[in-house]
Amino acid sequence: MSETPDGKSIRDRLRAPADTGAANSGGDSRGSDVTDASFQQTDSRAELASHGRDERQHSAPSAPVAHAIQEPRKADLSEAEARSAERKVAALFVLSFLGVIGFVVTFFVAPFKFTERDNIYFTPLLALFMTLALAGIGAGAVLWAKTLMVDEEAVQERHGFASEIEERDATGQALVQGFEQTGLARRSLLRNTLLLGAGSLALLPLPLLLDLGPYAHKEDRFRTTAWKKGVRLVRRNGTPIRIGDLALGSLETAYPDVPGGVQMADTPTMLIRMRPEELKPRKGREDWSVDGHIAYSVICTHLGCPVKLYEQQTHHLFCPCHQSTFDASNGAKVLFGPAARNLPQLPIYVDDEGYFVAKSDYTEPVGPSFWERKS
Amino acid sequence: MTVLGKGAAGTGKWVDDRLGSSNFIRRSLNKVFPDHWSFMLGEIALYSFIILLLTGTYLTLFFDASMHEVVYNGSYIPLKGVTMSQAYASTLNISFDVRGGLLMRQIHHWAALLFLASITVHLMRVFFTGAFRKPRELNWVIGTLLLITGILEGFAGYSLPDDLLSGTGLRIAASITESIPVIGTWASILLFGGEFPGTSIVGRLYAIHILLIPGLILALITFHLMMIWYQKHTDFPGPRRTEHNVVGSRMYPVYAAKAGGFFFLVFAVLALLGGLAQINPIWLYGPYDPSQVSAGSQPDWYMGFLDGSTRLMPNWEIHAFSHTIPINVILPTVVLPGILFNLLGAWPWIEARLTKDHDYHNLLDRPRDKPRRTAIGAMGISFYVMLLIAGGNDIIASIFSISVQTITHTLRVAIFVVPPLVYWATKRFCLGLQRADDELVHHGIESGTIRRLPSGEFVEETVGLPVPYQITLTGVEPSERPALHAGEPPEGPGYGDKQVVEVHGNGGPVVHEVRRPRGFFRDKTISRKEPLRPEATMPPLEGTGKPRAK
Amino acid sequence: MDSAPSRMQRLSGPTVIVLALAVIGMLYTAFGAPAGHAKDDPTTEQSMAVKAGRELYLQGCSTCHGLGLQGGAGGPSLIGVGESSVIFQVESGRMPLKAGTVEAPRKKAKYTTAEIDQLAAFVGAHGGGPKLPPGKLNDGNLQQGGELFRTNCASCHNFAGAGGALSYGQYAPPLTEASARVIMGAMQSGPENMPRFSDNQLTPDEKKAVVRYVQFITKAPQPGGAALGRFGPVPEGLVMWLVGITALVGVTLWIGARA
Repeated sequence: MSETPDGKSIRDRLRAPADTGAANSGGDSRGSDVTDASFQQTDSRAELASHGRDERQHSAPSAPVAHAIQEPRKADLSEAEARSAERKVAALFVLSFLGVIGFVVTFFVAPFKFTERDNIYFTPLLALFMTLALAGIGAGAVLWAKTLMVDEEAVQERHGFASEIEERDATGQALVQGFEQTGLARRSLLRNTLLLGAGSLALLPLPLLLDLGPYAHKEDRFRTTAWKKGVRLVRRNGTPIRIGDLALGSLETAYPDVPGGVQMADTPTMLIRMRPEELKPRKGREDWSVDGHIAYSVICTHLGCPVKLYEQQTHHLFCPCHQSTFDASNGAKVLFGPAARNLPQLPIYVDDEGYFVAKSDYTEPVGPSFWERKS
Repeated sequence: MTVLGKGAAGTGKWVDDRLGSSNFIRRSLNKVFPDHWSFMLGEIALYSFIILLLTGTYLTLFFDASMHEVVYNGSYIPLKGVTMSQAYASTLNISFDVRGGLLMRQIHHWAALLFLASITVHLMRVFFTGAFRKPRELNWVIGTLLLITGILEGFAGYSLPDDLLSGTGLRIAASITESIPVIGTWASILLFGGEFPGTSIVGRLYAIHILLIPGLILALITFHLMMIWYQKHTDFPGPRRTEHNVVGSRMYPVYAAKAGGFFFLVFAVLALLGGLAQINPIWLYGPYDPSQVSAGSQPDWYMGFLDGSTRLMPNWEIHAFSHTIPINVILPTVVLPGILFNLLGAWPWIEARLTKDHDYHNLLDRPRDKPRRTAIGAMGISFYVMLLIAGGNDIIASIFSISVQTITHTLRVAIFVVPPLVYWATKRFCLGLQRADDELVHHGIESGTIRRLPSGEFVEETVGLPVPYQITLTGVEPSERPALHAGEPPEGPGYGDKQVVEVHGNGGPVVHEVRRPRGFFRDKTISRKEPLRPEATMPPLEGTGKPRAK
Repeated sequence: MDSAPSRMQRLSGPTVIVLALAVIGMLYTAFGAPAGHAKDDPTTEQSMAVKAGRELYLQGCSTCHGLGLQGGAGGPSLIGVGESSVIFQVESGRMPLKAGTVEAPRKKAKYTTAEIDQLAAFVGAHGGGPKLPPGKLNDGNLQQGGELFRTNCASCHNFAGAGGALSYGQYAPPLTEASARVIMGAMQSGPENMPRFSDNQLTPDEKKAVVRYVQFITKAPQPGGAALGRFGPVPEGLVMWLVGITALVGVTLWIGARA
């Protein structure tokens, strides 16, 4: 008897039933009236048919109706094939065991610490053995089910979901009746006070949530930073930045010289030096920069990422998060991208000792827009 | 009876005496599940969730969700002596000082990516086959909720290590929260316990990540599975498969063995990825610092479409009456996902309204048989993929030496132009496939047999398609339409006019007459009015493959 | 927004610098700068190097940069750019430039290290400029290097030195192949759009720390498997779809198929 194994062309597969005759193709059982030898039944069909109906009426899932043996598999036809399949499954299970052994050995033997040589092989080795252990069991179980377990095509009736009209009506009536028995419809006082009580109960957790954050002076937190007149610009390590420290075409990340200034999220500032003639200060800000040194907020006005990607020839500042591009030589004007506002500029001057100092806080809120922002 | 059998019987009696569960158990064991590879995609999501629970529990044993500052003194030398949060330090500890900790952490992260990727693939399968139709609309909604909660869970999870990349993500999240009109600043202050970054957010996200959302996901998955169990799985049309039955293998033993084996195989793939492919190397990112950032900062892939929409958005912002409404932030990050997820969740009702199809459907559609639905799905995918591309535009620019600005400008146009084109092309493609099917069903297949006509002309004989394939292609069981199969003139209506649908209520079959709209979703073009070509009647081929002339 | 204006800006930057440097160079020679430092004595190693460098320069560089380093139509003046700049440009293969390209991509170096040193000595002898600090370049403090790298470098070159995109087609190149001398030279000279880091901004020791950290993250093996290009979550997502989902769909096909 020829088979139609997978891997043949579609044409072959289509042809096959004609080739093999009606006995074992799936196509012979046209509908429900087929009772040929290959269509084994667990129970007699008549019985099941009545079962099916009965169970439907009880809204219970029915038992599988029949199991049709499809084209027999290799292992179904020959005991040798079955034993070969069994050996394959067993080999996979043994592989799994070996994987566990390998995992445990690796765990205790392989160099692991970062300081040890060859430590980079530890995790991949563990993973390989773990994969073996898991895949052995998994593939073994699947292969077992596919080759050796019962090969059936079980058919099970579905049950309907919708209830009988009478049933629905009765349920509806029970609901209505129960509601009437509570008296809520008639006793308006009861109803209204219940609504009042239950409604306010829903508000009960809200005050608890309010203490999640200190909301006093909420807006000031968004409007002001720790910069103020006379605060020096310092580096990450706390050293103040002096005029002349920066070469032409360079950028220094500056923090306010106040306690905790390095860690604040709204104060990071970039001090850029370019040729004075390249700088086009905005109106009224001519004295906000010193000899080609200009300071902008690092925090993007779009969503707050640090915009420190400074191109010293084009003077573009580029945001690595959403690609807003600003022109550092022209008041950090937006050139491209989703940011709607220029980067705020920090007015600076140089004190008697030659260090950079802020003239004031930023004159506008730093960072992304928010509802209470006025412009 | 063997000892084993006796023991089982004894246990069974003990349980049944107390719970009376024999009937339930037997019915469950005998439950039939249809066999099709595409029905296992949802299982991948289920298994990755279980793996997430397992690996996640392991990670909680070592992770310390505190933003308290410490000086690192572990074995990763380049960060020794650096001040960082306890959360970051304990994640380094998991990666470098807990044997197998790095493997568990990487499996956990890969499993999170897989969880959402498999949900997405499963969603596509359900969409394109019409499995969401009545009576399964509620399960579609639960699936949508699982997708949303999964995304939130993933975001909360990768924000926990408090590294430079996740901190950048949190800063963006804080900024998006602030942008919401009226309540934005309040919400942000409450969420972060003060001004960003504060010292609370990691602890709060931890509670959300390991308790709140997993609990929600677990409950939703339970509902999802209970509904599948109760309503039974859908099936593709095919031999013996009708609207009123399920054909496949029984839960016990075959299905259980396959599904159990599949769990281990999913775990195996994740273990392999977890050990051989590095994911989220937080030690290279460094601890979070508000003034630092890495080039090419991205979210995980499932957030990528929102990052992309944000990047594509023009810089519109409204200033009025002393207030600011940042359209450039709200539209792509709040409004767009709101619209997308609502459309997704409401799709079963939208489609039912368009098709006026309110029937029960247990048999699935082949995607080509619903060209418009398939085209809409493909259109949605193209839209989503373009957002994803936009979300990685800087990486693409960097690798392929293109300007970021060029990519963005192109995508700003493409996002409106490409989806309609994809809709059109997909629809044409589906109709073409249908025509090919039509040809097969009505014309048959070439037999390789050449016949010479009396006139001297040579023709190749065709044979009718075997019945199983006819059923698969037409979706019609011949027994339901004997007239068609016998090649006699059909009595029932064709697809365009009126269809008779049987609905099984408890009182037996009910006949509904549905008038199908001629416009939208009048899809299937295979004419069922024409007689189908009967199955092969020609003599068997000898297997030589050579055409035989008679 | 067209990229044309930006290209003009990009060109105008170097032009200005070239002109300025040319002026400085001329003044330098005109006002009889201390007539050579070490090159008075023709027997010293330094002057030998300058001499050899001059030969190399005249053969390989003078066509564009001019016989007297004054620059020309094809290239900027090299007076005062310093040894560091030469080492960065030549050792990373960016110079000599391939004809017709505006950008200078990394290539295989055309000269040997010794020749590059000679060229550098020759250019350095004309107008000074930054030169590599003495001593080993990569023996700085690793932790300090990491801190400085994340503050000053990662924003453009990415957390692992994999490079990144900048505005309008500009890019920060990957650091994976850069030698210690090239990294140091780049920080000192600020090539193209890269900011310059003077010794007051980053001391030589701090620069050495950065060099050491860059070499660590780009060259030292890292635990946890393949690096996936170190571009962050984008390649991770791709791997999930192309490897993870593909493999598992394959598995479902296997399970779903009959034996």
